[in-house]
Amino acid sequence: MDHSAPATRHAARAREGGEFQSPSLERLVRALSRLPGLGRKSATRIALDLLREDAASPHELAESLAEARANVRHCGRCGAITEADPCAICTSPSREPHQLCVVASPVDVLPFEKAGFYRGRYFVLGRLLSPLDGVRAEDLPFARLAARVEQDGIGEMILALDASVEGEATSLYIQRMFSGRDLRLSRLATGIPVGGALAYTDEATLHRAFQFRRDF
Amino acid sequence: MRLIEATLSGFRNLAEARLSFSPGVNVFTGANGQGKTNLLEALNYPALGRSFRGARDEELIGFGADAARVVVEAETEGGTVESYEYGLERGGGRRLRVAGEPVPRKADLVGRLATVVYDPQTVTLVRGAPDGRRRYLDQGLCGLDHAYFVELQAYNRALKQKTSLLRDAAAGGRGRAGLRDDLRAWSDEMALHAAPLIRDRARYARELGPVAQDVLAGFTGRSATLEIVYAPGLEIAEKEAPAADLTREISSLLDYIGEAEIRRGRCLAGPHADDLALSLDGVDLRTFGSQGETRSVAIALKLAQGELVFRRRRIRPILFFDDIFSELDQERARRLQEATAQMHQVFIATARADDVAGWRPRDARRWAVEAGRITEAP
Ligand SMILES: [Zn+2]
Repeated sequence: MDHSAPATRHAARAREGGEFQSPSLERLVRALSRLPGLGRKSATRIALDLLREDAASPHELAESLAEARANVRHCGRCGAITEADPCAICTSPSREPHQLCVVASPVDVLPFEKAGFYRGRYFVLGRLLSPLDGVRAEDLPFARLAARVEQDGIGEMILALDASVEGEATSLYIQRMFSGRDLRLSRLATGIPVGGALAYTDEATLHRAFQFRRDF
Repeated sequence: MRLIEATLSGFRNLAEARLSFSPGVNVFTGANGQGKTNLLEALNYPALGRSFRGARDEELIGFGADAARVVVEAETEGGTVESYEYGLERGGGRRLRVAGEPVPRKADLVGRLATVVYDPQTVTLVRGAPDGRRRYLDQGLCGLDHAYFVELQAYNRALKQKTSLLRDAAAGGRGRAGLRDDLRAWSDEMALHAAPLIRDRARYARELGPVAQDVLAGFTGRSATLEIVYAPGLEIAEKEAPAADLTREISSLLDYIGEAEIRRGRCLAGPHADDLALSLDGVDLRTFGSQGETRSVAIALKLAQGELVFRRRRIRPILFFDDIFSELDQERARRLQEATAQMHQVFIATARADDVAGWRPRDARRWAVEAGRITEAP
């Protein structure tokens, strides 16, 4: 996408006076700057912060990273982030098994769980349709979704996707997928600002959007 | 609505200036290339968050200046004074503030400072390609209703997505498997936002016709039948039907041409291919209009746009006339001057002092513009 990135980074390094004299620090900065959204400048700031004497033990950070890497996984049934597979929501007997809330990303489960009004289960798509980013329907887990609806005898599906063009198109795709089935299909009412990401919507707005969800 | 004063620095060739305006007519005279149009461009920038000439922000920064800074004080119909402030820096930095509050997105500017600009380019509105007339429709409608702007942005995004889908498939990068279903989702999404655009454009064209005809008769002194007909790219039976029905109709029209779109590898229909049919006494102006007619109708269309802002929002937009009177005979020019000055605050840039000579509207102010210096005439 951004073909100029390496060149820009190189220029930035040149401006900052080249590489560090410490190869260890250089290695740390490079490792950090490979993280999404971190340029060399922010990576350097974080690295120096981590190296301060009063900073938390580096072993703590390294261990928690290794532990998370070993334990964190996506639930094989719903796609939420979990350590136990299937996750607690998928296995909880107190959750309504026939109601399914479809969200785009694992973080979109959090505002629902925090607000607490939703008692059904989830299905995480992982991404939204977006040909501009090379994402077509075959890249989304629609086959798994259809199987889930079949197996669990889902009676109501709530589409809680971002109020963006991509979120809407994905909702419309799912709507066509299940049209003619004996399934109540609804989507969150407006109230979520246009272009608004679900994960940043406050609880009250989310609850209202859920209560007034609209059938297709 | 009116501008009270403006402070400028580093804008194109203009020298630093602080100007207080007349609530009525403001005339800037000077030879071409001295900076008259630059001044109108600077004053109108906050209306769109960009240059009305389509210049990039960086081109607006004066030679040798680090940044262009402009503050425009405007008074709304209700009497509140708001400042519109913008700073453009080399390298693309831009700061926009309205009433002291930062405005991060151009979208938040839309419809705030109501203006209508007429410059020599405006003739292409009648004579040129359909995209000029679509831009005119969109500009008019965005100035009336922020919801239209939101729908237009969403439509354009959906169009871009669908175009990308079709182009990639035609290039053979991805298989055809499932393509038809992907396409349906994007056509549905386009339809969702096309419906309000089509409905609003149809209604706007219907309201515009009689208003533009009156305006035209007013300054040409000759009554003629001006017809403005919305010509959508899609054959819609009832263009002002309820949104849900319209969406469904558009969806099925798009679905019908789906195979053809896949074959051609591009979007074949939608509001992005709309046009306005313009005719004067039954003659299609787009192809058969005389030069005089074309100009007069272009002016009438622009003024009608301002009139609709007033009817719908009770706001009298500020008019910017760049070199408008040189294209009209004296009689028409004078009528146009009288008619507009009664209703609006007007900013006139002209190379020929003759165009406004002998015209003495109440509390008019006049400036001479020479090599970027703006000096008020006594
Ligand atoms: Zn789960």
